[in-house]
Amino acid sequence: MAKLFERRLTPADSPLAIFATTAGAFLAAMFVTSFLFLSYDASPFQAYFALFHEPFGTLRGFGYSLVRTSPLALIALGTIVSWRSGFSYLGFEGCFVIGASATAWLALLTAPGARIGPLPFFLFLPLAIVFGFVAAGIWAGLVGLVRARLGGNEVLISLMSNYVAIFILQYLVSGPMRAPGSLPETKLLPRSTWLPFIIPGTRAHAGILIAIAAAILVWMLLQKMPLGYELIVTGFNASAARYAGIDVGRRILLAAFFAGGLGGLAGMVEVLGSQHRVMDGISGGVGFVGIIVALLARLNPVAVIPTALLYGGMSVGADAMQRRVSIPSSITFILQSLAVLLVSAFDALRYYKINFSVFSRRTPPPVAEEVSK
Amino acid sequence: MKHTLEMRNIVKRFPGVLANNNVNLTIQAGEIHALLGENGAGKSTLMQILYGFHSMDSGEILIDGERVRLGSPKDAIALGIGMVHQEFMLVRRFSVVENTVLGLREGGALLDLQRASEKLKELSNRHGLALDPAAIVGSLPIGVQQRVEILKLLYRDARLLILDEPTAVLTPQEKDQLFAVLRKLREDGRSVVLVTHKLAEIMEIADRVTVMRDGQVVATRMIGSTSGQELTRLMVGREVNLRADKSNQKAGAPILQIEELRVQDETGHEKVRGLSLEVHAGEILGIAGVDGNGQSELAEAIMHLREIESGRVLLKGTEVTRLSVAQHRAAGISYVPADRRHVGSVTEMSVADNAILGLQRKYTRGLFRGIREARESALGLVTRFGIRTAGIDFAAGKLSGGNLQKLILGREIMRGSAALIVEHPTRGLDVGAVEAVWGELLRARQEGKAILLISAELEELLNLADRIAVMFEGRIMGVVDAAGASVEEIGLMMAGIAPGAAPAAGRQIKETRHGETL
Repeated sequence: MAKLFERRLTPADSPLAIFATTAGAFLAAMFVTSFLFLSYDASPFQAYFALFHEPFGTLRGFGYSLVRTSPLALIALGTIVSWRSGFSYLGFEGCFVIGASATAWLALLTAPGARIGPLPFFLFLPLAIVFGFVAAGIWAGLVGLVRARLGGNEVLISLMSNYVAIFILQYLVSGPMRAPGSLPETKLLPRSTWLPFIIPGTRAHAGILIAIAAAILVWMLLQKMPLGYELIVTGFNASAARYAGIDVGRRILLAAFFAGGLGGLAGMVEVLGSQHRVMDGISGGVGFVGIIVALLARLNPVAVIPTALLYGGMSVGADAMQRRVSIPSSITFILQSLAVLLVSAFDALRYYKINFSVFSRRTPPPVAEEVSK
Repeated sequence: MKHTLEMRNIVKRFPGVLANNNVNLTIQAGEIHALLGENGAGKSTLMQILYGFHSMDSGEILIDGERVRLGSPKDAIALGIGMVHQEFMLVRRFSVVENTVLGLREGGALLDLQRASEKLKELSNRHGLALDPAAIVGSLPIGVQQRVEILKLLYRDARLLILDEPTAVLTPQEKDQLFAVLRKLREDGRSVVLVTHKLAEIMEIADRVTVMRDGQVVATRMIGSTSGQELTRLMVGREVNLRADKSNQKAGAPILQIEELRVQDETGHEKVRGLSLEVHAGEILGIAGVDGNGQSELAEAIMHLREIESGRVLLKGTEVTRLSVAQHRAAGISYVPADRRHVGSVTEMSVADNAILGLQRKYTRGLFRGIREARESALGLVTRFGIRTAGIDFAAGKLSGGNLQKLILGREIMRGSAALIVEHPTRGLDVGAVEAVWGELLRARQEGKAILLISAELEELLNLADRIAVMFEGRIMGVVDAAGASVEEIGLMMAGIAPGAAPAAGRQIKETRHGETL
């Protein structure tokens, strides 16, 4: 009685199986979303063409995609560091605005006539990276401290800390850092602090290079360094980590600091590369979409870059879709969320294998044959 | 009324393994039938099929010649088949009677605990299982909890009781009580299947024994016509020497000293109460005791994995009491914890990664991990300790218990520490693996390591240890030379009766402890 689908004891975990289920889930999400397009009397094919042609088929659109990719990738990398260390941090929205505000503050100090005065870019950039990283790292580290020392629940605390950070930002842009004018935003940052544009004729800036460098560094940390080994052991099994002489509390604190720092870099890249000022609502949910990207990339730092590009591109394509076939761009968000849901659901498929022998009736399984007599 | 159970030509495949290959097993009414086999021999699978946990690929199960279908444990219970698992399936906060009726729905929507209590009392009197139906299960000793499990089955009128490693957690005295109960069940015409790998117990109580190896039944024997030696050979497939040959060797200088140690558990109960011990170079000091008498807390406190209230730990005369775990390891104490899957290893990671657990700062190249060196050492462990694995990139969690234990033990021995703390090193391992682990421990002893061996298996301690300290409620009841030790004496100390106390006094204490549970 061979069944077509036979249950495995452990899930198939080859890269091919993982890629196939992920891709399958994404296609299924697109299929389900097609029905939403139909409700707007639009052809799903046209809609998907609009969705993907603009970001990946045009140079200008591709430049915008890269702009959206960098902060997403950096936040996804932060998610990977913290989650693989067993620290379920969700406060990236907050880290993003803290990093953005800190960088903007530093950049404004280098305006002509300000306290520091103009700095050459090659001096300013490392300073901004360290500054944005450390500020947001300390911000997330506070949550790490509560978890490591007092045993608090980092999920709740980090989620709530997002609101605190956003209130801090609102205070800054409507108070001490407010530019003269009616909108709650800072002055335009000095041109000398902007990240250089890297593809002529587009808005693509050097932030993507920072994101790629960060992905390589995170990969090296987790795969090649003893500290990364200790973080991963801590994440898998805190008792085993303690047994191995690893100071679990400190590792969690460090993971929180790194994660927050990467979230802060996302804010820095957005401010120096794209917005060139800080305003209320600058984060716009990127801190959560970044987590989704990390999940879709299965917490693998190398897979983060293409996944972030896909999601960044889709958010660019959403606008084009709205223009070209007048479908609300928010449908894209439904598609993105469905993809994550289905990717988790499709994991169940890796517990099954297909018995092709069912199709060739002539050879029943050998043992069953022996026994049935 | 006769109840004969027959399993015919049972085949069960798991992906990549043939867990049961044409297994035949017959169990007569009123017999105690032992099912013997190494881990992975297929005995658990067979029992889980019988209990309705797994479906079989082919084969049939007959009761009194009639074919029955076992789709779920519910079917099994309805047919009078019950199982006592190694880990008890009890709700600790519920009373005995509440646990008993759990899932039964006898009175429809209404719960009649009064009637159930009376039935339970009547059952416990009839079978000699003294028990108070109103007692909260969590407050009962392990041996009594086991009785609750057995009573649960009798309440459902199970005719066939499957007991999975029932004596693993019992003192020798509790074991005797359990066996008395099993004999009563046999007189009553009920059948008992005893899944175990303890030969002595099989020889003591079983009527027949079926030996399994590699998914097949290799033999079924009447107990009268077989011997422990033959059974071992059948089970392992070769001659095994489980009498460890301990070389005569004089213990050296004291290496590990523990002075007046006091340790609490998470709930603030004192689990180690002013305990002092000394372990010498080239000596195995055994710690006997029923689980839960502070042995784990002691081991963890020595490594400072657990907060120490007071007292000192010295290694080669230097105080290490409150150094960090990493510093303990660096100073020269290795530790093989009891829980090899949740503490001693990271099951999600590869064998190679587990081979450097605790040594991750040793295998480095500048800022980076010395991955090649680590892999070489992992390969070394695999060959030196005979670890059977598909490769060092294989997830450690997929190793069998014995191979995982060899990996952990090997890693801790190869660190070159002066002192080695080993907790329940052979729990749940099959005979072949036990033999290997024992050999390695004796080899480490010969190399002059000071070994603290915590075990609940008296046989293991008597075979390996030079001295045996018996632990009861956080204290050492006494230390005896393993060479001249008697099981009775150690057993009494494990139950909290000081050596030299008059036997009558001993009985009295036992009775009052008994009374508490009534």
